[in-house]
Amino acid sequence: MNMPLLSVLIFVPLAGAVLLIFLPRDRKDILYGVAGAASLAALGASFLLFTRFNGASADLQFVERVSWLGGGIQYHVGVDGISLMLILLTTLLLPIAIFSSWSSVKDRIKEYLFFMLLLETGILGVFCSINVFLFYVFWEAMLIPMYFLIGIWGGRRRVYATTKFVLVTMFGSLLMLVAIFVLAAQYQKASGTASFNLFDFYGMSLPPQLQLWLFLAFALAFAIKVPMVPLHTWLPDAHVEAPTAGSVILAAILLKMGAYGFLRFALPLFPDAVQKLLPALAALSIIGIIYGGLMALVQKDIKSLVAYSSVSHMGLIMLAIFALNVESVEGAVFQMLNHGLSTGMLFLMVGVLYERAHTRTIADFGGLSKVMPVFAAFFLVAILSSLGLPGLNGFIGEFLCFYGIFAAHSVWAILAVSTVILAAAYLLWMYQRVMHGPLVQDKIVTFPDMNAREIALVVPIVILMVWMGLFPRTFLKKMDATVTHYIQAIKGQEKMFIMKTEGAGNDPRKDSGALGRCFYTQPSTAEAVPQTRFGAPSAAPSAVSAR
Amino acid sequence: MSLILPLLPLLAVAGGAIVVLLLDAFWRRPSKNHLAFATLAFLAAAAAAAVRLWDAGAEAFDGALRLDRPALLFTLILILAASFTVLLAMRWMAQQNAAFGEFYGLLLLSLSGLLIMVSTRDLLVVFLGLEVFSVSAYALTGLKRNDERSEEAAAKYFLIGSFAAAFMVFGLAMLFGAAGSFDIGILLGSGNAAGLPAFTLVGLGLVITGLAFKIALVPFHMWQPDVYQGAPTPVSGYFVVAPKTAGFLVLLRLVLPIGRGSSGGDAIHYFLYAVAALTMLVGNLGALRQKNLKRMFAYSSIAHAGYVLIAVLALDARGLAFYLASYLFLGIGAFAALAAMSRPDREFGELDDFAGIGFRYPWIGSIFSIVLLAMAGFPPLSGFLAKFYVFSAAVRAGLTPLVFIGVLTSLISVAYYLRVIGTMYMREPEQPVDIDVENPAVLLVLFLCLYGILQLGVFPGNILQVIRQAMAGLF
Repeated sequence: MNMPLLSVLIFVPLAGAVLLIFLPRDRKDILYGVAGAASLAALGASFLLFTRFNGASADLQFVERVSWLGGGIQYHVGVDGISLMLILLTTLLLPIAIFSSWSSVKDRIKEYLFFMLLLETGILGVFCSINVFLFYVFWEAMLIPMYFLIGIWGGRRRVYATTKFVLVTMFGSLLMLVAIFVLAAQYQKASGTASFNLFDFYGMSLPPQLQLWLFLAFALAFAIKVPMVPLHTWLPDAHVEAPTAGSVILAAILLKMGAYGFLRFALPLFPDAVQKLLPALAALSIIGIIYGGLMALVQKDIKSLVAYSSVSHMGLIMLAIFALNVESVEGAVFQMLNHGLSTGMLFLMVGVLYERAHTRTIADFGGLSKVMPVFAAFFLVAILSSLGLPGLNGFIGEFLCFYGIFAAHSVWAILAVSTVILAAAYLLWMYQRVMHGPLVQDKIVTFPDMNAREIALVVPIVILMVWMGLFPRTFLKKMDATVTHYIQAIKGQEKMFIMKTEGAGNDPRKDSGALGRCFYTQPSTAEAVPQTRFGAPSAAPSAVSAR
Repeated sequence: MSLILPLLPLLAVAGGAIVVLLLDAFWRRPSKNHLAFATLAFLAAAAAAAVRLWDAGAEAFDGALRLDRPALLFTLILILAASFTVLLAMRWMAQQNAAFGEFYGLLLLSLSGLLIMVSTRDLLVVFLGLEVFSVSAYALTGLKRNDERSEEAAAKYFLIGSFAAAFMVFGLAMLFGAAGSFDIGILLGSGNAAGLPAFTLVGLGLVITGLAFKIALVPFHMWQPDVYQGAPTPVSGYFVVAPKTAGFLVLLRLVLPIGRGSSGGDAIHYFLYAVAALTMLVGNLGALRQKNLKRMFAYSSIAHAGYVLIAVLALDARGLAFYLASYLFLGIGAFAALAAMSRPDREFGELDDFAGIGFRYPWIGSIFSIVLLAMAGFPPLSGFLAKFYVFSAAVRAGLTPLVFIGVLTSLISVAYYLRVIGTMYMREPEQPVDIDVENPAVLLVLFLCLYGILQLGVFPGNILQVIRQAMAGLF
């Protein structure tokens, strides 16, 4: 148990990327072999992580903590039940995305795989970071490979799309950076020591007015990433122009980073502000659900249809998060996995189609199911999973979400249910137009069905979809404790704030609130691991030992 | 010996200048590489002397020259910048028909001026150093004698530089009239600006204005894009880094003892506040409009000066030193890439020339991209950490509005830096440019800059410690 599993997980892809630099550029097989091996190694590591993760504990596990730059900036990583799920999703989809590019990416393969692996390291780092500085480093660094992936291997308007993507995302995250500075300065003023540890920040009690501003800065960064309407405009552009694998990663994983950011940072750090803004946030989510669904209904391009469906689905996930009870948050996390799988698979299928037809316009197709029966079957599975058919994964997630949302606000739930109806409408209507009816083009007849490689890529996804639909407890039980604890902490925090008199106490530890108190009880093993492993005690005295 | 020892770094550089000039006169060879190697040897000697002095520090001429640790740290940064410049120039100058032996002598001479600037607390000596630098800098700018633009730049630089010098001299006269001394410590007393006579304040304002001309803070920046575009590319790289590095240390030494809280101190503070905001805005917006990369980097160096000025305002000596150390690799790295983009008698500096370069010349393309990303402030590169330290110190010092301007203007900078990367990797060239890739010295500089950017960005531990040690001596 002494292996630094998380570090291995995060940096194996990076090592693969560095190795790629020194390989011959014309040996496609070697390049794919190395990239595939690195991403599969990460998958193996995350599988180990999953089996060893103790679902009965709400604490951070696999914690590693090494001093890095001083001044509270540490290499500090760990996972809980929520990040575990997203890590699993990431490591599963990356190899699939990599191998899906075998025939669609024709030149500059070496650079392509290099950026894919770099991207994986960035994403995994975001989900593992406990130190806010480290989180920000990964959060921003991840933009660079994505910029190149869309910009070099994308479609016709790729440069515009990718620049827009980077600039819009950075706009939010730079304001978040300022908020992080303010948080750190406040912490230092209150406690006298410098820290960027997220759990130290949890314990602070900030004046409500300041909270509001800081929350807005964080929320803006994350809402752009999710994306919540009206900050979604970068998404259709980026999706449509990105290469298939880029779209898969963008939709399946990157969007989750926004939701994860809300869960991990924006909500627990600023409970007062959340309380004030909850109705507005919920309203934006509901608008997103309906707007995304309606926009998806009128799209002519399959890819942008799936892109807008993501806006709608992410709206539901955000609404479930804002409902703030155990069922809804668990549902939201579970639904993140579902959406990752189903949308990822949809984009893969669109990619398969595009490789054959070189078009994605719905009107160019018709009667495909006769020519490509295997393709039609898998496409249908993806669609059914996406719209929440009982027996598949989507149903469980949506059910939990609605259950939780209804318990919080029945009106929200009633409005949100429209997502199901809309999803059924735009997905099935699209399926009908593409797959059934007369053959509109003669060349469709010549399309080969899915080949073995393409089938092999989607089969694991389908197996997981069924598994998650039938045995959701496999995953839910890993996050029960985390989510229950999370909700208790947040609710406790709210009560604290209602009772608290203005300006009571400046010491963040004295008045740490329930959330701080709960989160501070990290297991002693977690503290011991880095010390035995790396020999050196962590630089800043942790809050745990201070108590 | 006790007189010579503190002078050793300066003597190695200034004496080296004379030796190299004479060497060129008496040992004429068409290739000037022997001069370059001699110059590098003198620079290495100066650096060794500076390292040797690190623990003890030294004084000379009754304290007029004081080699305290900040001075030595900046001496080392400046020597490194000059060494990179020599490497960049070796082949490039010959290639561009500008292989003049006096280049190396002038470079060393200008460096000696900057070394004088950083190792004194006497404003008159600062002025002396500044003029030594400036006079050689005018000549360096005009070194491409067959290029009209280079000549024009030199003339412009000379005129504006003399103008700025006049400001400074006038300010110095007033300061001397007020306090009877040029020493910063005596002039500004023990940090109590309330007692400063109005005379001193006006004098300080004029001196700061003169400095602002030299380090091109807005609105005293007009000359800079023309000069940097006109000067030989390696020299431009030297100009974006070296004079600013030295000038900012002087500025910090001036501003630190004034502090805040008094009307005089506040006046200077708000003056610099406005200048910083303007510098960031004008620098970044100006760079956004450029199609020529040399000009773009000229504007971007103005923008970076704005960020460093935030460190001055936050009185964050460490952040300032770290920023300048990181900018050494960024500024030189950018101009090294531009120097690489050339072939005999021809330079490629327009944005369109860069189309497709990323795949045609993978090393140049990728290192240049990393330099650009670091300049834009992407983690985990040095530019991010530099901005991070400066901005977080500024927030702690209550300069949050300035930090807002800072991050929003960096967003603008991301747009123009990415435009270059986008051109290199995402555009097919209409007419592919062929560059001379047989330039090992430039490649060496590029790789050293890459190393510096990564080292400072990811594992800056040792350097941070040196900086902390050095800048603690500033108070």
